Amino acid sequence: MALSESEVRHVAQLARIALSDEQVATLQVELNSILGHIDTIQQLDLGDVPPTAHAIPVVNETRPDVPKPGLSRELALLNAPESEAGAFLIPQMTGGGDQS
Amino acid sequence: MAEDRLHEVLQRWEPVIGLEIHTELTSSRTKMFCGCEVAFGGEPNMRVCPVCLGLPGALPVPNAFAIEQTVLAGLATQCEIARHSLFHRKQYFYPDMPKDYQISQYDLPFCENGQINVEVDGGGVSQRPDVGGAPGVTPGEDGSYVTRIGVTRIHLEEDTGKMVHVGGSEGRLAGATKSLVDFNRAGTPLIELVSEPDIRTLEEARRFAQKLRLIWLSLGISDCSMEEGSMRVDGNVSLRRRGETELGVKAEVKNMNSFKALHDAMLHEILRQAEVLDAGGTVIQETRHWDVGAKRTSSLRSKEEAHDYRYFPEPDMVPFEFTEEFVSGIRDRLPELPDARKARFRATWGLPPHDATVLTSDLDMAEFFEAAVIIGGDDRAKAIANLMLNDLSAHLNAAGITVTASRIVPAMISELVALVEEGTISGKQAKEVFSEMAETGDAPGAIVELRGMKQVSDTGAIETVVDRIMAQNPDKVEGYRGGKTGLMGFFVGQVMREMGGQANPAVVNEVLGRKLG
Amino acid sequence: MTDSLDLSSLDASQIRSAIAAGDFSAREAAEAAFERIAALDGAVHAFNQVTPELAFAAAEKIDALLAGGATARDLPPLAGVPVAFKDNMNLVGTNTTCSSRILENYQSVYDCTAVARMLDAGALPLGKLNMDEFAFGSSTENSAFGPTHNPWDTDRVPGGSSGGSAAAVSAGMATITLGSDTGGSIRQPGALCGVVAMKPTYGRVSRYGCVAFASSLDQIGPFSKTVEECAISLNAICGKDPMDATSITRPAEDFTQGLDAGVKGMRIAIVRDMLEQDGIAPEVKAATHAMAEKYAALGAEVGEVDLPSAEYGLSAYYIIGPAEASSNLARFDGIRYGYRVKDAEDVIDLYTRSRAEGFGPEAIRRIMLGTYALSAGYYDAYYGQAQKARTVIIRDFERAFADYDVLLTPTSPTTAFKIGEKCEDPLSMYLSDYYTIPVNLAGNCAVSLPVGLGADTGLPVGLQLIGTHFAESTILRAARALEAEIGFDTTPPTVRALAV
Ligand SMILES: [Mg+2]
Ligand SMILES: [Zn+2]
Repeated sequence: MALSESEVRHVAQLARIALSDEQVATLQVELNSILGHIDTIQQLDLGDVPPTAHAIPVVNETRPDVPKPGLSRELALLNAPESEAGAFLIPQMTGGGDQS
Repeated sequence: MAEDRLHEVLQRWEPVIGLEIHTELTSSRTKMFCGCEVAFGGEPNMRVCPVCLGLPGALPVPNAFAIEQTVLAGLATQCEIARHSLFHRKQYFYPDMPKDYQISQYDLPFCENGQINVEVDGGGVSQRPDVGGAPGVTPGEDGSYVTRIGVTRIHLEEDTGKMVHVGGSEGRLAGATKSLVDFNRAGTPLIELVSEPDIRTLEEARRFAQKLRLIWLSLGISDCSMEEGSMRVDGNVSLRRRGETELGVKAEVKNMNSFKALHDAMLHEILRQAEVLDAGGTVIQETRHWDVGAKRTSSLRSKEEAHDYRYFPEPDMVPFEFTEEFVSGIRDRLPELPDARKARFRATWGLPPHDATVLTSDLDMAEFFEAAVIIGGDDRAKAIANLMLNDLSAHLNAAGITVTASRIVPAMISELVALVEEGTISGKQAKEVFSEMAETGDAPGAIVELRGMKQVSDTGAIETVVDRIMAQNPDKVEGYRGGKTGLMGFFVGQVMREMGGQANPAVVNEVLGRKLG
Repeated sequence: MTDSLDLSSLDASQIRSAIAAGDFSAREAAEAAFERIAALDGAVHAFNQVTPELAFAAAEKIDALLAGGATARDLPPLAGVPVAFKDNMNLVGTNTTCSSRILENYQSVYDCTAVARMLDAGALPLGKLNMDEFAFGSSTENSAFGPTHNPWDTDRVPGGSSGGSAAAVSAGMATITLGSDTGGSIRQPGALCGVVAMKPTYGRVSRYGCVAFASSLDQIGPFSKTVEECAISLNAICGKDPMDATSITRPAEDFTQGLDAGVKGMRIAIVRDMLEQDGIAPEVKAATHAMAEKYAALGAEVGEVDLPSAEYGLSAYYIIGPAEASSNLARFDGIRYGYRVKDAEDVIDLYTRSRAEGFGPEAIRRIMLGTYALSAGYYDAYYGQAQKARTVIIRDFERAFADYDVLLTPTSPTTAFKIGEKCEDPLSMYLSDYYTIPVNLAGNCAVSLPVGLGADTGLPVGLQLIGTHFAESTILRAARALEAEIGFDTTPPTVRALAV
């Protein structure tokens, strides 16, 4: 599968990365050369093979519902580019995202 | 008037509604994937840690209790519990979502294929012309009906943080110049229930949401506070011509954060779509936002492309395998659910359907009723129910409080009923006693004592008074005997006044009838 | 006396005993280490940041123990041992930059579990080590702060992505360092710098606090000059962590036990078909076969196996790795921390330009690749297919481990290459992880052992010893036997010259 220029732009939008036209052109070439190699995996006939998400099969790893101390607000905001009134400050939203 | 238009629209168009209800598991002490406490409000960013802030290197570890509560919710709604399940990452960028992906569930949710029975009675029935014969619908006595609403799935996920928009009108997005982000809520365990599109009327939608809330409250998994956003309702609405079986194009309506809002938003969305369709147009599949102020839904379409969530299995966690023992262990925790309780109220005490429904639709009222019956005895259950549904409910509504907040306790109600049934006071007196005990919190017996309200049934005492009254009014006695039987009322009134209203009316009538006749 | 104190000639246990014996104090050990860094790191550039205050504070604790009458027995296992950490591991009091502009000023507010365990073991934290940005690379050239140089030849790369961790040990600036390995990022630089480098079994070591690249592949492991130090380090960092749901509960093991038991009767196999790969340098191939013969001479049953599915490892890895990375790196959005453009007009503008300016070219390449592989319509063809290929690779290894205890391959197809040599061609760079990638996909453990200098290049050659899940003790024992047999001198001549 080869990536068209518009696909590169679409993927960049999904990934929230602003690309210059030059970057789009370069990435289209680079990604397609990598995909050219990766696509050998399509030759494998793996119809009935189950997928592996983790090499070590373990299940049901959970934690008890017991409170633990978290971060002070000072530490929570220590690396905030901008903050105000104990909250992270960001510019205006344009366009809704999603609700949970 | 919108209601009138709805009635007219419903002649041609059949609404097809499915609800998506998010509920925070406020019964959980800690968040879904970290040890931060679950609570509402407070100063911003005071209940956060590296995990729920999505700091570099932090990892999620799932909360076992929240998973059990989700399975409990599934069992209470007759879902199948998955033997194998896992979490997925749902990816989209939004400032209130720390990792820019939400840990949620995708094709392997914990619970699937359940159902909830919703009863509709009273005025709501008229919204449903096809009660007889509609699939999943069972007409009941007294014109009510029960409809079975399918539960597609219940999955567990993490809640987002909160944004306050500054510069716009009261924290609203519109016109805001900047926003403040608070992650106290981020990571709160959140269950999402998705219903089948089995809902056909506004009343069914409202009752479904209320019934679900009642079930969640019975389980104790959440406080289900819509004001605080611990229960949030989204809906999918489409219209189709009556008789048509194909589904129309649906619109998703968000931000309906009260039962009223749910009703109003659905109403306006149905009217909007009918208008579009009647004009020969087509409904666009989109997400619309309910604006309570403007009483309209508006498109939430954003600059960004249609979502591509790029779901994939959460690699920071391992899968879940639920054994039969695990599931039955949780099934053992199921409390009596609203339907079962209602059936028991009817079977045990022969309450009429409506009374049983009302009493079991509020957990506190139901508890109160059962407590009062234990004290007062089974044969007084009906009288206790009547007193609760009339005087008590009226009092609570007037005072705008819940039964737990009132000064009235179950023992008072059963005692008051006893006083009436034993003839110690009249029904009329009971009303006075009720309002006094509601005010003072004193026991009915004490009030009756204090006010000397015990009614006189002693025939001798009443005869003495009757004789005196007759002696004082020979003309009226003549008149009565002459056929003016209407004077009986006069004599009763006189006797009652003489005896300060405490004479037993039955005995007074008996004595008068005997002596005058 | 610290002027004459040269820690690079001492291993961890020798440093610990010398401090216990009062030959020098922990503080003097720290001072000596920083002096050596001052002398050598200008040429090597292994460190992004040095942390004297943290090291001296840790040293004080050790010296206080001794002042309080503690004896060698009472000292923790890494008491007074100078260590350093790859710059993707959080440590309070340091910046954790992942060698990226986007995190250039990011201050850690909590500790990585593995780092904390090293410090609990008494180690002295010297600082944070250079790496390929977010561990994307095999040469440490993808660092936003400039490349690290190979102590054996400063015109060459140290390998990567944990190049700083390998170079620091090779140059004797730190006795033990930690790195992270997603597709070879510990073993390959270990090989190119001629040090012992291990990737433990997936889940052995907690990933908590190590900035994630590919969650289902990442694993933290140690660098050292000797196999014994590798074992001591594993003892310190292994074990279940309640903060990492993928870390595994196992009975405690002492990896130093039976280290010298030898390889008599051990079943060791060369992975034949992988040595037939085109990219492999003759000197590397020759060295690998020579080591197999040494094992035979040492009494091991030596044979050959094939791992036919290994050829799909690279493809599977370059789908799974970037896919998980694209998701793990979404959080670097300029909202809560990290680089933010100044003049953003709205949030979308803030996201897209902060990320475009904050991430380097290779990070952008991998994020794009992974986002594409997960996007609507491509999941099954890429991520789904890669996860199935992973199953096949695991089955191949299981087959091999049914007959053998240890599998041998080169760690890297070539010795250290020149800085700049592979920058223009990402794919050729990717190929240098050909031998290491299948091990991550299968979750196995593997150690890279320096086995000599290449006949043609005169640069260190690394042998990869692969063990099945949780077989660390076995591969360490095999590595120790060979180490004793060949007695490779891990000190680069250039460093001997440079060192004061
Ligand atoms: Mg949801
Ligand atoms: Zn938290």
